[in-house]
Amino acid sequence: MRNREGTVRAAGAGLAIGYAVFIGWLYIRQPQSVAEVRGGLSASFGTYRVDPQAFEEGLVFFRRDEFPAARAALERADPAQQDPRTQFYIAYSYYRQGWGRLYQDDALFAQGLETLTRAMARAPRGRIVVDDENLGMRSADELKAELEAGLRRDASDFNPLRIFRQRK
Amino acid sequence: MTAVREAIALPLLFLTVTLLGGLRIADRAALAPPPLFALVLSVLLLGLLVRCGAFAPLRLLHRSRPLLANVNGLIVVGALFLASAQAFNVATPESGLPRALFNLVFLVLLANTIAAAPDRLRMLRSLLVIFGSAFVVKFIVLAALSQPAETPATRALRILFEGITLGSVTQDVLHPATGYVAFFTLILYLFGLVLLPAADQTVSGGHDGRHRHSQPRALPARDLVDP
Repeated sequence: MRNREGTVRAAGAGLAIGYAVFIGWLYIRQPQSVAEVRGGLSASFGTYRVDPQAFEEGLVFFRRDEFPAARAALERADPAQQDPRTQFYIAYSYYRQGWGRLYQDDALFAQGLETLTRAMARAPRGRIVVDDENLGMRSADELKAELEAGLRRDASDFNPLRIFRQRK
Repeated sequence: MTAVREAIALPLLFLTVTLLGGLRIADRAALAPPPLFALVLSVLLLGLLVRCGAFAPLRLLHRSRPLLANVNGLIVVGALFLASAQAFNVATPESGLPRALFNLVFLVLLANTIAAAPDRLRMLRSLLVIFGSAFVVKFIVLAALSQPAETPATRALRILFEGITLGSVTQDVLHPATGYVAFFTLILYLFGLVLLPAADQTVSGGHDGRHRHSQPRALPARDLVDP
């Protein structure tokens, strides 16, 4: 009887401490879906994997400039938004879709910046470098600076030579 | 109190209140940690629970109890503290004048109840009224005032109301599910308070039970022996 009570007490303490840690984790990470909770927990244990097939499909759409389709495939590949490389491509798709010779689409740039900031927070030391020769910017730092510059209002916005710049 | 209640039921119940008490559903779901003032109110509420005999910490933490039992007791006390803070968090409006007023009213009500030192049952009834009233004002009255106006007449009235109050009363519109979760959370919290190990009530005078004093009940024998 006393052994049983000891077991109950030990199990209860373990359960409560585990539950408290899980709640603390939820408050820090603020996941938005069950998929994010599952993916976040898997990532904590180092077992999270993106879907390679969906990722490849996303890259094909991305290179064809079909950005909404690319994002759909990439989000399917990384439903928990845990993989920095996949999230980098999603942020990049917002940049390329929102880029214009005369003006930027602020809403798309803001979404890109939000996605990139989240990806950097999950990357080791906040550093993301993607070795892809099709990209004009291969690091998250470059992309972030470009997105922030696009969202900023200053005198350079009225420079007529802007129409000669190239999309990266 | 059984080991199951002390080691499993109470911690899980109060931790669930801690989790759900911060849930805010709007266009995104967010978990709001307790503000600093909710922690202060939580300390006051714990003091009130002990003073009124609704919670006897000596029945959870005592040198005569085994180490593991004291660990369980410590977890219950910690979870109760966090759950109390989140109960105030969920019952307090999110911003503006109502938030400041609610915090002030909570403080005054708790201080008044501590000074009155009611017995356990009256104190629990009092808490039910405090949290129930706060819930109604926040999730029914203020939510109705903050809903987007649908007709030109209500829109005009809304603009007039916001002009008079300088926009300090209306709150951010939350998804209706937030109210249901808050209701469940507060009920769960109050149920947890009822389950807490209470002090014995001994009558020291009078026939109507008005002169009651709370005394910690003697520890049950099973709590005094090693498991």
